[in-house]
Amino acid sequence: MNENLDNHARGEETHMGNRPSYPGTPRWVKVSGIIVIVLVLLVVIMLLTGHGPGRHTSSGDAGSQVVLSIVMDGHAPAEGGRG
Amino acid sequence: MIMTPRLRKFALAAHIALSVGWIGAVAGYIALDVAAATSRNAETLRACYLAMELIAWYVIVPLALASLLTGLVMSLGTNWGLFRHYWVLISLLLTIIATVVLLVETLTIGYFANVAADPRTSDDDLRALGNTLVHSVGGTVVLLVILVLNVYKPRGMTRYGWRKQHVKRPDPEHKEYM
Repeated sequence: MNENLDNHARGEETHMGNRPSYPGTPRWVKVSGIIVIVLVLLVVIMLLTGHGPGRHTSSGDAGSQVVLSIVMDGHAPAEGGRG
Repeated sequence: MIMTPRLRKFALAAHIALSVGWIGAVAGYIALDVAAATSRNAETLRACYLAMELIAWYVIVPLALASLLTGLVMSLGTNWGLFRHYWVLISLLLTIIATVVLLVETLTIGYFANVAADPRTSDDDLRALGNTLVHSVGGTVVLLVILVLNVYKPRGMTRYGWRKQHVKRPDPEHKEYM
């Protein structure tokens, strides 16, 4: 780890004299950003088309049945509800 | 303010312990989450939901907040800074996102635990309650990405970091770095 850090610092120090212009955003940041944007778009599309993970339930909308049965039993659901 | 070497070592040890502990705690939580997703036994489900809430509130949330705090201390207390290097900035953003999602998710976990703790909840209702696997597994992936960034420290300064670097001459011994 220290070797890596020293390389960072050495590289920066060699540029001290002539003050080069900003080299731009590194490629790994750009690639990571594109991947994140694609993943976010996929999740949004899945949610909008109804193919998402739903409401944390493994069996469709079964969670609401639980709420319904408890309320009908005269017991209010937990404060705050589902996240 | 740059920390002294002794203080920096202590802060780094604390940050590593808390961050790795966070990942470990989530791993334990996932075991319960998988059991909640797959088990048909009502007693197992009841125990899982109650334990998930305890682990979330008393282990994962404190570790997440402490990890975020020590990460801020490590960044601001060394020459790495908070906004100078992309790997630090991205690690910070991912940690904040993971912590916020975790705090929101505790509402769902609390709801599951409240339903499970109610003796009037039927076995069928327990089986239909669901799980939080999408978030717990997704959160683990994010934590592992942060871990990799912190170990490899990929090169790349932000425009702000570049500007700061050419205004202030660095310590030739580089002692401020971790």
